[in-house]
Amino acid sequence: MNRPGAVIEVDRNTPPTLFHFGEGVRLEKLPLGSRIVYPPDPMEPITHPERAVKRALARPLEDDPLKSLLRRGMKLTIAFDDLSLPLPPMAAPDVRQLVLEEVVDMAAEAGVEDIHLIAALGLHRRMTPDEVRHIVGERIFSTFWPDRLYQHDGEDPEGNVYIGKTAHAEEVTLNRRAAESDLVIYVNLTLVPMDGGHKSMATGLASYRGIRANHNVKTLMGSKSYMNPVDSALHHSCIRQGQIIEDTVRVFHIETTVNNHAFPSIASFMQKRETDWTAQDQAMFLALKQATDLAPPAFKRNVFHALRAPYGLTGVHAGQVDAVHEKTLDAVRKQISVEVEGQTDIVTMGVPYLGPYNINAPMNPVLVVCMGAGYLFNLYRGKPVLRQGGVLIFAHPCRYEFDAVQHPSYIDFYDEVLADTTDPTEIEKRYELRFAEDPWFRQLYRKSNAYHGAHPFYAWYWAAYAMDYAGDIIVVGGDREVVHRLGFKAASTLEDALEMAEQTVGRHPSITHLRVPPIMLCDVQ
Amino acid sequence: MSSKPWYSGERGVTQLASAIGAAVADVQRMRRAWHWDSPRPHSWPERGAVVPPAAHDLGWARQEPVRTIRYLIQQGLEPVTEVMAHPKVEGREWVKELDRPVIFAANHSSHSDTALILHALTDEARDRTVIAAAADYWYKRPLMGNIVSLFLNTFPFSRTGGAQGQLHASSTLLKSGWNLVLFPEGSRSPDGTIREFKPGVGHLANETRTPVVPVHIRGSQRIMPKGQKVPLPAPARVRIGKPMAPQKNEGSREFTARVESAVRALAREPRQPELQGSWIERWRASKPRELVYGED
Repeated sequence: MNRPGAVIEVDRNTPPTLFHFGEGVRLEKLPLGSRIVYPPDPMEPITHPERAVKRALARPLEDDPLKSLLRRGMKLTIAFDDLSLPLPPMAAPDVRQLVLEEVVDMAAEAGVEDIHLIAALGLHRRMTPDEVRHIVGERIFSTFWPDRLYQHDGEDPEGNVYIGKTAHAEEVTLNRRAAESDLVIYVNLTLVPMDGGHKSMATGLASYRGIRANHNVKTLMGSKSYMNPVDSALHHSCIRQGQIIEDTVRVFHIETTVNNHAFPSIASFMQKRETDWTAQDQAMFLALKQATDLAPPAFKRNVFHALRAPYGLTGVHAGQVDAVHEKTLDAVRKQISVEVEGQTDIVTMGVPYLGPYNINAPMNPVLVVCMGAGYLFNLYRGKPVLRQGGVLIFAHPCRYEFDAVQHPSYIDFYDEVLADTTDPTEIEKRYELRFAEDPWFRQLYRKSNAYHGAHPFYAWYWAAYAMDYAGDIIVVGGDREVVHRLGFKAASTLEDALEMAEQTVGRHPSITHLRVPPIMLCDVQ
Repeated sequence: MSSKPWYSGERGVTQLASAIGAAVADVQRMRRAWHWDSPRPHSWPERGAVVPPAAHDLGWARQEPVRTIRYLIQQGLEPVTEVMAHPKVEGREWVKELDRPVIFAANHSSHSDTALILHALTDEARDRTVIAAAADYWYKRPLMGNIVSLFLNTFPFSRTGGAQGQLHASSTLLKSGWNLVLFPEGSRSPDGTIREFKPGVGHLANETRTPVVPVHIRGSQRIMPKGQKVPLPAPARVRIGKPMAPQKNEGSREFTARVESAVRALAREPRQPELQGSWIERWRASKPRELVYGED
């Protein structure tokens, strides 16, 4: 039985708290009486993942066994999630590889000749061949790459089809190969409740035209939170789009969940509560701290991005999308939920080196906002841990640092758009379409390894609700000029940040620190 | 037995010394006469067909501990191949777990072809693979012949004659369980294009009923073209096709032509399902062997 998550109150004996700080770490002494929220310990993984996959495919939820759906002469498409999940990337073998190999085995047995495997990227960057190989495994890669195993292209005019409009006038587009298939099998990996379900296909295999229907300020402002699909306008929209997709093509959905064992043994101190640190963990922390303080950013990045998480499979479900996703959400919540009593004036958190959109790249300032005020702020169910008008403090060096290959549109977004305004609604109205239709960004998205021209806008909208909700956002340790460009306040130390926050929330504020990663979901009572 | 005393100069130490002196003089004489230290005179007629030594003469190269030494040498050279050519291998599943010996028939445009083929094979297949090396090129000097045999597990293969002798040596190796790498064009193509295949490969396959695996190597010509002494880095691709067996009543020349067209087709883009197999065949061929443990 894994130890559940906990909320610890800081007293005189509480050791300093670990703050992730980009490609580094810090220890901070929180004021007495502050709360620290810890995620649950990793659940025991399934001992025989292959058997679990076979069982799920043979006994699907509200659907026929996969074997009975496969027949000679059919057109079969298998789509799967890209490298943005899980974080950090999983140590081989990835659970998607286990599922894909089983599915392909069944297709071979049934004599299905016409089979395509598509990485459902949506508007994310194309992966490198090595990254695709990491997800699908060597056997599938060498059998299918590159003519039958490839990546979705949301800007290919021939490769996407418009399939209809929802009752809320949301347009729905789908990858042509998927739309024209007799069966689409979707293989998903769900790390947080935001992932999976109808969202997988509605965004992963769609074009800009379909994705913009719900990746907009209005929808995202109405999503409270992304991590609770019941209260998320984003998910409601995806469900409506998903129903149109299901009317178009037969879908068999497979979802997997993993535990939150995010760090390998060499960095196990990041996984543990500070009170659990052994002498070895302390030594590792000291070594890492000294090394990351001294090493140049590029070196640190290479070391951090080489980390592979020893995630373990905790569940695999297959069948009809809604039935499968319900079970998946139960499994995810079981792993990451923590009960937190009441809201707080100030929430602190350390933003780590990695988010979904900077695998093998630096986390640029726009992505820092997306990660801190978008993803981490939204790790709640019910209501935010932060009270309305409270202060959000996160720690990150926040340098002017961009990857020109992966994030070319982010550079222009930062230099041109944020120089003008930080208001998401204004930005959407005045700039989004121009970036989305820019021929150069489109070319880089299609042929290089760049995110779509519209992607930095979505990253910014992701944080729109937090920016509107919080009274102030303070970045500890961030480059002052960059932080000001983002529209936030900069502080050198956590003490300074708390002092500054008092001007907004008053004297003697209540403080809660979210100790992420590993991922958690706060059930705020 | 001579009755001369030891001091006569014809017995004992003096006899030994004079014998050694005579041998040295003979060697010196031959050295001069056969131009050991200078080029072969232009006025001399062309050499006749080389009759290579039988394969078992180099049998030491296929025995332990030489195999282990070669394995270590090749493992050490792997990173060099990786850096020089960053080879992309397609169709490795066909040579993953060979249940019987095969003949690899590849196009040939560079000395680096051998290294690329060995790189494309799995460790198990590589350990059981012999390379046919031109006898009149690699085995002209015994020391060189022994070195390439140690490094690459080669055996001398005559390009100019002795078909029956070749067939015997090659079939002995195939029957002993060794895979054979042949370059049926006979020598390196000067411009990288595939030249006509000599019928030996079809003949050997027909006589020994051995499947032939067509292999196409792209890019090696840029690494080390004919006439270049130092390799240069350039990307290469090795594409391995589905094993082909001679059909009933198919002649050696017809089968050779089929192998040749298979190699030519592999050179084309994209994948060739009819040559590389359908995905189902390739998928099954790449299935990992399930470990079966005997009962204690």
